[in-house]
Amino acid sequence: MTATKEYIGNIWDALKSTVVGMRITGKYLLKKPITVQYPDERLPIPDRYRGIHYLEQEKCIDCLACARACPIDCIEMDAIRHGKELEWVSFTLDYQKCMFCELCVYPCPKDCIHMGTEFALVTTDRSELNFDLLSYKGMAREAKIRMREADAKKAAKEAAKKAAADEKTAEADAPSATDGPDEARADSDGEGAG
Amino acid sequence: MQSTEPTQSSGNAILTLLEPLAPEWVPGWLVGLTAIGVSVGIVTGMIALIAMFSVWLERKVSAHIQCRYGPMYPGGWHGWAVVLADGLKLIMKEDMVPKGADRVLFVLAPALVLASIFGAMAAFPFAPGFYFARMDLGIFMILAITSTTTIGVVMAGWASNSKWSLFGAMREAAQVVAYEIPLGISLMVPLMTLGTFSLLEASEAQAGGFGIFRWAIFQNPVCIPAFIIFWIAALAETKRAPFDLPEAESELVAGFMTEYSGIRWSFFFMEEYAAMFLMSVVAAVFFFGGFESPATWILRANGVEGGIVFGLVCAVTIVLKAFFGVFLMMWLRWTLPRVRIDQVMTMGYKYLTPLALLLVLLAGVWQTVAVAIEN
Amino acid sequence: MTIEETGQKGSIQLGTESRILPSGEREFMLDVATSDIELNMGPQHPATHGVMRLLIRTDGELVTGVQPHLGFLHRCAEKIGENVEWLQYLPYTDRYDYLAAMNNNLGYSLAVEKLMTGLEIPQRATHLRTICAELNRIASHLIAFGTYGLDIGAFTPFFYAFREREWIQALFEKICGARLTYSYIRIGGVFNDSPPGWLQEVERFCDVFEAKWQEYYDLLILNHIFVKRTANVGVIPPAMARDFALTGPMLRASGIDFDLRRDMPYMDYGEIYEAGAFQIPLGSGEKGTVGDCWDRIYVRMKEMIESLGIVRWCLGSIEDGPVIGDIPKVLRVPNGECYVGIENPRGELGHYLHSDGGKIAIRCRVRGPSFVNLAVLEDIMPGTLLGDSIAIVGSIDIVIGETDR
Repeated sequence: MTATKEYIGNIWDALKSTVVGMRITGKYLLKKPITVQYPDERLPIPDRYRGIHYLEQEKCIDCLACARACPIDCIEMDAIRHGKELEWVSFTLDYQKCMFCELCVYPCPKDCIHMGTEFALVTTDRSELNFDLLSYKGMAREAKIRMREADAKKAAKEAAKKAAADEKTAEADAPSATDGPDEARADSDGEGAG
Repeated sequence: MQSTEPTQSSGNAILTLLEPLAPEWVPGWLVGLTAIGVSVGIVTGMIALIAMFSVWLERKVSAHIQCRYGPMYPGGWHGWAVVLADGLKLIMKEDMVPKGADRVLFVLAPALVLASIFGAMAAFPFAPGFYFARMDLGIFMILAITSTTTIGVVMAGWASNSKWSLFGAMREAAQVVAYEIPLGISLMVPLMTLGTFSLLEASEAQAGGFGIFRWAIFQNPVCIPAFIIFWIAALAETKRAPFDLPEAESELVAGFMTEYSGIRWSFFFMEEYAAMFLMSVVAAVFFFGGFESPATWILRANGVEGGIVFGLVCAVTIVLKAFFGVFLMMWLRWTLPRVRIDQVMTMGYKYLTPLALLLVLLAGVWQTVAVAIEN
Repeated sequence: MTIEETGQKGSIQLGTESRILPSGEREFMLDVATSDIELNMGPQHPATHGVMRLLIRTDGELVTGVQPHLGFLHRCAEKIGENVEWLQYLPYTDRYDYLAAMNNNLGYSLAVEKLMTGLEIPQRATHLRTICAELNRIASHLIAFGTYGLDIGAFTPFFYAFREREWIQALFEKICGARLTYSYIRIGGVFNDSPPGWLQEVERFCDVFEAKWQEYYDLLILNHIFVKRTANVGVIPPAMARDFALTGPMLRASGIDFDLRRDMPYMDYGEIYEAGAFQIPLGSGEKGTVGDCWDRIYVRMKEMIESLGIVRWCLGSIEDGPVIGDIPKVLRVPNGECYVGIENPRGELGHYLHSDGGKIAIRCRVRGPSFVNLAVLEDIMPGTLLGDSIAIVGSIDIVIGETDR
């Protein structure tokens, strides 16, 4: 008797669960789809999204805190100090290695590196993935002036030291102190134009 | 039931159309050959169109069931040209035969599979005046020829020289053999009700009753469980889910079709959709009235029993019914999980066959009682 | 009669071995040998949940032996742990069980905090950690459910499961910026506070999810074909579960009532259990035997609902405050070694850390639950059909990132 009951139970259960299932899928068949057709339509990206970095170059002080914090060592930066001013050569982040963990953002003392909302990293060559995050090469105009003054001060100090050493060693020659700063200015102009 | 058409020598409506048009000097056999050529062309075109539309329909139905859009891009409106794009891509693919594969069988298998469906389509009637072959044993021929697709599938699985394909082929053979029996036996119920093997006559036997109430399922209520059994057996015959073990995607990568790519693979798919269409046509003709619908009833009531308009209405009716059946098969596919092979066997032999036999008995009883009551 | 007596000569060689059956008949041992097929359910296969190679020996459709080959996704996570600083290791913990990354972060952070005695975790941080860990448990079980459906052949529940998972991932995206590898739960607390409106959205998710859960249950779990394919398949009796050191839903499906959140509580889980916010679902052999595949997926489904209870409790009792404890900028973890195991969606995720007081660990060993759970395959798969083996592998719910690390 239980065998017959099981037999009929199987048939009834199969039919019932099929109908229940079809009702659920039929319901979604008639509803509007929930997907968006990328790339014509896009979903909004939240503010905290960990995308490609952007660097506020004016604030950065080349302290290498973010480079040290990175587990994979994908940040490299290079800048020349002119007194208090920095002349940036490069600030590269290798996206071949970056795992978007955001560990570089927090140690920054000046809060100048952030992660943005861009995530498309399509390139045709791997070397292009080594992004240079500098917004522009070189420096701002005001910073250039300050750099020149700092260089001039440094050159004047060295010239004064040299003059003092010369005075000690030999008779007084034609002082070349006035040539120094002009030379430095000419040199810096040549460099600044680059 | 006697048809009002005069008996033809060949039983091909196209030949009937062409004979009066042929000029005097054209010999009879040439007209016959032309008619055959035209028929084959129409069948080929039909199968191609059916397969193309079914592919698009499947992709859209599956997408909307899964809360997504499906093809939207090719061709503009809901990606209707996606099949053309797919076909073009498949034709341009490299024609590979795997190393160690039996080359002759490998190449022959998809052709055999498609050829059997072509043959079965010969019995498909568009309208009472437009058919390819007037057969008194239409359904018998369809069942016989569709079972030869198994040979092609087993050939494909064996010739691929891959263990996964072999699994798919073995499962297909076991499955088809098991489900041929309930397929045939459950069809006996409407056959008893309608009294004929021919698709055309079966459709005519369901005329009247506002175009709906003389359908076989209303003439004999035993037809309703018989339809369910027929439908399950048809799903198993056409290797559709929940019986898609031979091409089980998540288990056997692609079953017997694993080593096929390009146009050969698309032949298997054309066969699958054409077989689905054919099974739906059989269900429509024998259970759900065939050509009969309120439209045909209205036309008949006004005395229009032949001619182009009637033929068109009939053709549209049967094609719509068949595509609804195809849609139902797709809906089932995307709802139900796959049945395991030994459970397939259990279901076929222990559940469907005895039930089908029981239904035949009940149908016979009903017919006797109904006839007795009428008299 | 022997063959010689019958005088038959022919091409069929009957073996001379024979025996008498209990019924009295004589049974001849025929010399017909069919060799087993050796199948490679290789690294690339739709059903092995990652890159795992299963060498299956079958006799037709019957599986007679199985040998899993691992290591395709080995990325030297433990060795890396000996070479980077404590905080820098956190993103690596995300990547072992990438489907439940919050739980991995939690396990590691708890282990480090255990070594740093005297560190106080703020209450808001603990609650945010719990909410995130439990939401991630729901997300992980949704994938287990969806992909199990795919393996069995039901293609639609996968998409429905991912619809809810997208919501959870969007929540996580709002709070920490990433969708899969969060690195959110850090040593001392969490990285940043929840944005305004986030907690309300979590509550809305909890309300909507229960109705959807019922749909999944009706569509797949109660489906007759699914039940027939998973009930009485791959039965792991309780004794075997204990012998193989299975943990997580696999253990509870075999009827053994053990959950780390209740029995070895960490964070606030003891308090939450006392308050009755969640129960421990067990497998009871409802559709077949205790410990079969259906029980395992049933336990996972039930756990999703229990997680909702935990999330709701945390939402009700969260307070404002700091989200990170007092951690020095340069972290030096005091001398010592410890082991902390937590309840990952897949089982017990254990971190063993050995510190010598410096910036970098000496040893960072991870006990991945999938690796341990996988060992039971060699014992339960032989004797089943090929279709069943797929069902069994899917029910163990492995993530190869965790198996290989």
